Amino acid sequence: MNTTINTIMSGRRKRRRRYVLITTILSIISLVLCGLMLYLGNTIYTVEQIVRVLTGEQIKGASFAIETIRLPRMLAGLFAGFAFGLAGSVFQTMLRNPLANPNVLGITSGSSVAAVFCIVILHSNEFVIFIASVIAGLATVTVLYLLSIRKSFSLGRLILIGIGLDAMLGSVIAYLLRISSEYDISKAYRWLSGSLNGAQMEELPPLIITVVLCTPIIILLGKHLSMLELGEQAATSLGVHTDKTRIALILGTVCMIAVATATTGPIAFVAFLAGPIASRLVGIGYSTAVPGGLVGVILVLASDLIGQFAFETKFPVGVITGILGAPYLIYLLIRMNRKGDF
Amino acid sequence: MSKSLSLNEKPYGSPTPKHFTIVLILCLLALGLCVLASLAFGSRIIGFKELMDVLFNTSADSYDSDVIKQRMTRTVFSLLCGGALGIAGALMQAVTRNPIADPSILGVNTGASLFVVGGIAFFNIGTANEFILMACIGAAITAVFVLGVGSLGRGGPTPIKLVLAGAATSAALSSLVSAIMIPRSNVLDQVRRWQVGSVGGSSWSDIATFSPFLLIAILIAFLTAPALNALALGDETATGLGVRTGVLRLIASFAAVVLCGTITALAGPIGFVGLLATHLIRLMIGPDQRYLIPMSALAGAIVLTVSDVIGRILGRPGELEVAVVTAFVGAPILILLAMKSKVRTL
Amino acid sequence: MKPKHQFQAEHVVSGYEHRRVVHGVSLSIPSNRISVIIGANACGKSTLLKTMARLLKPESGRITLDGKSTDQYPPKQLARIVGLLPQSPIVPEGISVADLIGRGRFPHQTWLGGWTKKDYEAVAEAMEIMKITELANHNIDELSGGQRQRVWIAMALAQQTDILFLDEPTTFLDITYQVEILDLLTDLNRKHGTTIVMVLHDINLSARYADYIFALREGTLIAEGEPSKVISSDLIKDVFGLECTVISDPVSGSPLIVPIGRHHVNV
Repeated sequence: MNTTINTIMSGRRKRRRRYVLITTILSIISLVLCGLMLYLGNTIYTVEQIVRVLTGEQIKGASFAIETIRLPRMLAGLFAGFAFGLAGSVFQTMLRNPLANPNVLGITSGSSVAAVFCIVILHSNEFVIFIASVIAGLATVTVLYLLSIRKSFSLGRLILIGIGLDAMLGSVIAYLLRISSEYDISKAYRWLSGSLNGAQMEELPPLIITVVLCTPIIILLGKHLSMLELGEQAATSLGVHTDKTRIALILGTVCMIAVATATTGPIAFVAFLAGPIASRLVGIGYSTAVPGGLVGVILVLASDLIGQFAFETKFPVGVITGILGAPYLIYLLIRMNRKGDF
Repeated sequence: MSKSLSLNEKPYGSPTPKHFTIVLILCLLALGLCVLASLAFGSRIIGFKELMDVLFNTSADSYDSDVIKQRMTRTVFSLLCGGALGIAGALMQAVTRNPIADPSILGVNTGASLFVVGGIAFFNIGTANEFILMACIGAAITAVFVLGVGSLGRGGPTPIKLVLAGAATSAALSSLVSAIMIPRSNVLDQVRRWQVGSVGGSSWSDIATFSPFLLIAILIAFLTAPALNALALGDETATGLGVRTGVLRLIASFAAVVLCGTITALAGPIGFVGLLATHLIRLMIGPDQRYLIPMSALAGAIVLTVSDVIGRILGRPGELEVAVVTAFVGAPILILLAMKSKVRTL
Repeated sequence: MKPKHQFQAEHVVSGYEHRRVVHGVSLSIPSNRISVIIGANACGKSTLLKTMARLLKPESGRITLDGKSTDQYPPKQLARIVGLLPQSPIVPEGISVADLIGRGRFPHQTWLGGWTKKDYEAVAEAMEIMKITELANHNIDELSGGQRQRVWIAMALAQQTDILFLDEPTTFLDITYQVEILDLLTDLNRKHGTTIVMVLHDINLSARYADYIFALREGTLIAEGEPSKVISSDLIKDVFGLECTVISDPVSGSPLIVPIGRHHVNV
């Protein structure tokens, strides 16, 4: 008995150490990238200058570049990346399939439609955009759910319907952009491919508040989420309120996705990639929510830096994540098909 | 054996479908109305009387007649494209024995777009024939890739595997299209067509370029239709009936890919037309390929032309690209199919 | 020894959206014994089991535990008394055996807390009972079908419930593993007094391992009792529509069904 306990303990300790180590490393990389977002640009300021600006000092030139351009850009990337990564990995765990993520299922498009509508037609302020995109995201989930419940739930059906919805909503976005005025188009263009360009400080509070509020809830539900992984029947018989848990998780993640989408536009593949990468790194058996969020941050910030500085032309972050993410998606598909997951 | 939704109900070489004549007449009537609507509607609406005047009184030389001439071109072009998309959709569904196969869902259109845009950017291609060549290569490579990825594993190419492989590939390729286009913003408008398909910029020379391809593909489609009926019964049964399934698949896919490539080269990626057309027709006359393929062509022409008219009305004073409209009216078919089908067949 | 519980189904009617499968079954599960529900395919035995394990809500009637309807218990509290091994559980890819079994401790844990000493003990004990201690830190993907099934049962054991429902715990297993699993379950019952209720396909193994049999036909209970008293050629004819003779199992003395069929009959 005791030897068994010791074996289990040592195994768990080893896995725990790996989890903590990886999460720490991911946090450090995220911080470094945040620093680089502030440091790199047309003019390079010294670290000391940057710190002085951040602590509120006014320095000619530096204050403008850092406070109005680089800082909002960095914060938008940080919080949106975290939101996409965390929400994506929660979705994947909950639906037990790496391909089931808010992008594929049309939830992001639902939020985008509302956000674009608010911008180009109603010319609303940030707060209205935020509320509308959350409601639209939740409405899309509801429609998706209502359409896909038949006699029995099938993930395949859910994904097919999601892809169909996504195509329809995509055409609505295209229509809205077409009838909008020239001036709005540039502002709304980010909905075609996510971008951190033109992120402004005033736009950020809803995003930051949502991430700060939703993250603890999702972490708190981590254990319940890992029960859902065992399937409906096993989870129920272990005493989990499966419906309530799912609703709480969906509410939390859709809020995050919707607000992040309203702020930066849909950044391709981040929600999809973060979960699998995180679970590869930290090993299975642990919640990938937080590491997934961190991977999301790294993907967004690193891709944005690449998009800004690696080529002559500046690419929006969504194009870079799209190109980086697609081969992985295809690799994953091949692996899943081989194993016969579908 | 994996059963597709309804392809395999009729035996090899059955009699004419029940409502065939009625459906044919209805489709022809609808087609006629479409053509009239396509000539009449646009940023400027032309009344029925003026329309008739111009059509049957060639001497009439007015502003209206110029507008109508212009619209005539795009109407003919959209009829041909729609027909071709209908045939391509029907062929792909028959080859994969899979009800959701459609060039856009499988990413084939995006593949064709990428090659055209890449060709313009890196090899300075400029003539229609060069576009078509590049587009066909792109379409073929993508089709092979998506079908390959989607057929791995148990059960062969199931709808869900194909859709996912197609969606993933398509997303990847469209990122590449954006990446090629963004640094060349000066030509953005010129190449925007290969991001969202439109029949607006068509000319008679496009139609002339396109027609031979269409004719060859139609010929192939008609010749292979009886064998495709046998294929619907499953590979083993088809082989038993004397069909060389490998060769058949190759020829039929070749026709489909050439059609998709040519359309994408000339009009840009247009999705969901084949899906919508074939399923409307199948609903009415059943799954016999010998009737399904030609009728799908008819239905495809109607769908695309109507969509183009809708796009012109909604997008006034400009116009909304036809691909935007077809996605909106065609995607629900995918949703309906997913809702209707049994879990097993996914 | 596990405490005695009264677990009863009262006039339970249950089924799926448009199809009623169980038509008013009343039964009382004998405490601290092994009960087996038998019946032909689609007779409602799995549905009955799922309804008793609260995976399905009965259309009418109720399930009671110690006189109180099970839906009045908080789910976690009930999960500390009644456990279920589903027929086709889902395995999270790549999880380690110990971690998976540890998930059975959920009803005993708080929202955020880690594993307590009790959790470790329960997992270790479950692994010892199922004889899989050496697999503790293995990846679940590496295991064979028989080993996996033992891991799953261990997870249900780690839940440390007094009553354990198992839905066909031996399907898809070779006969060797089938006997092994049933032996292990019998150990569990004899040593700890866990009440076991399972659905089994194999009538002869049921007759041998069950202390008590419930026979179902078309959603109604048509016989119950100890195997030696209940199982007869008439009952088998009634339940499965199969002509057979019943002899005494030379190994255990329990009833053994020998089907007759149309060929190979020496009269």
